Amino acid sequence: MRQAALQTVYELAKLDPRVVFVGSDLGAGTLKEMRDELPDQFFMEGISEQYLIGFVAGLAKEGFIPYVNTIANFFTRRAYEQIAMDIALHNLPVRLLASGGGMVYAPLGPTHTAIDDLALMSGIPKMRIFAPGDANEMRELLRTSITDSKPWYVRFGKGGEPIFSPENQKYPELPKIYGNLQPDYLFVSTGIIVHEALSAMEGLRQIGITKVGVIHIPEISQIEFDAWVNIYEHAKKVIVAEEHIPRGGLFSRVLQIIHSKNLDTSKLCSKSLPFAYLHNYGSQKDHLTAHGLDSQGLIDALKE
Amino acid sequence: MKVNNLHEQALAIGLSAKAIRLRERLLEVTRNAGRGHIGPALSILEIIDVLYDRVMQIAGPPRGQEWANRDRFILSKGHGCLGLYVVLEEKGLLEDLDLSQICTYNSKFGGHPESAFIPSIEFSTGSLGHGLPVAAGIAKAGAMKKQNWRVFVLVGDGELNEGSNWEAAAHCVKHKLDNLVVIVDYNNMQASGLVQEVLDMRPLREKWEAFGFETFEVNGHDCVALEQVLNMKSNGLPRCVIAYTVKGKGIKIAENSSIWHHKAKITTQEIETLKADLYS
Repeated sequence: MRQAALQTVYELAKLDPRVVFVGSDLGAGTLKEMRDELPDQFFMEGISEQYLIGFVAGLAKEGFIPYVNTIANFFTRRAYEQIAMDIALHNLPVRLLASGGGMVYAPLGPTHTAIDDLALMSGIPKMRIFAPGDANEMRELLRTSITDSKPWYVRFGKGGEPIFSPENQKYPELPKIYGNLQPDYLFVSTGIIVHEALSAMEGLRQIGITKVGVIHIPEISQIEFDAWVNIYEHAKKVIVAEEHIPRGGLFSRVLQIIHSKNLDTSKLCSKSLPFAYLHNYGSQKDHLTAHGLDSQGLIDALKE
Repeated sequence: MKVNNLHEQALAIGLSAKAIRLRERLLEVTRNAGRGHIGPALSILEIIDVLYDRVMQIAGPPRGQEWANRDRFILSKGHGCLGLYVVLEEKGLLEDLDLSQICTYNSKFGGHPESAFIPSIEFSTGSLGHGLPVAAGIAKAGAMKKQNWRVFVLVGDGELNEGSNWEAAAHCVKHKLDNLVVIVDYNNMQASGLVQEVLDMRPLREKWEAFGFETFEVNGHDCVALEQVLNMKSNGLPRCVIAYTVKGKGIKIAENSSIWHHKAKITTQEIETLKADLYS
């Protein structure tokens, strides 16, 4: 997913001189081709995220479109005020490309696992918040970013995720509703958890439970609830699954929307990471399994 | 309290008729607000006035055709905005916006400058340590687009406690931003006391020079000296001008007074007392 994103930035940069890539001491090979071919649009800055965000805000203010890449937490926690004040207050078209969303960096511990990023970014007016589910969606999403005037936060998965989105279909039209359109059971997810939800749907089908649907939400900041309000109303149980703490992320947003529509919220359940610093290591998958966010965990949650 | 000869000169130097007029207007504006950072605005008044009057190239009005080619100014120590507001007003750069209602509910002018509704405010500031990184981005953009305009950013001496300034300083040199000038308002006071007691940043000149800035020191209330140093041609490096100033300059009872760093519930009587204490 990261490779698809960075390659797309390179594609965009070739077409539009306003596009610049800015990294913060990323690996030496990062976008080597772009660095060689478009050196004036490629910046590798030092480990200094507060400066970095101010710097790209200055570039954006003067007409450039910066795509900035570092580890998610070093945006959301380290440079929160700069993102809120330098970028969002001024409504500047900066794209924060956040590596290691969720538990991708599980082996590196709680300094590196980004499990509160969606909540933190949700506290910033004007910020658009995305968590694509595969490389195709990432690519299409970023292609549309060139024309949007708002700031963006884009959460990256680990990479190598299965592809479920069709290729070369423009981002907003990409399908987000899967499975039964009048389901008894509905999974609502964002980011790479869509794969666990789709897998859970298949697992349930194999044991004869076929009226299951999956809604994938790639943009947390703008949930198109009207597109699936009928599906929601029909379902008996709705599980909102996210690789995130239980507050301030997808569940909070969905609950808020459904409450505002005076719809039944009692069928809504949350499956998330705990609201805690996670001190276990292992892999991302280990954590999804431990906290019931893998496909089996979602099946179990539905049966509860 | 005096850190060197230039600081002594800043204390001793008198004020011109224009400097008095700007201060009178600043006090009038503050009377309506009933609050404000008077001391930090008075220390930077000559710096901002010289920038807008004798240094920065601003060919036309905000939103005009030539506006894009203006030199840029960011007041990183946003709490000194009273000084910026009165100079912009004097220069006719506030359009028809009403400064007299500052800090009231519907005013476009607050206790920190916001660019959203005031086109001549380059960038909204308030939280410290933001101006220099943003100015670096603007200066880099200007260089990339081969523009001739320059970028001036005014930071407080207490503000230099913020590490983001030093992150940015290193990068300004990396990018050889010779179109960028950092001006340090060295009034030697921050909210809780003397800079040298709260967090001594000395040797300040050597610090900027060590980062690679071409660095100058000047009496920050001497308009002639300011004009000279701010108009100097660049030699390929980013530039730092350390301006020795006096917090509350021009009003004896407010000079070097922590009471007048920021004050709420300022009475009309207090404003009259400050005005009476203005000296030339």
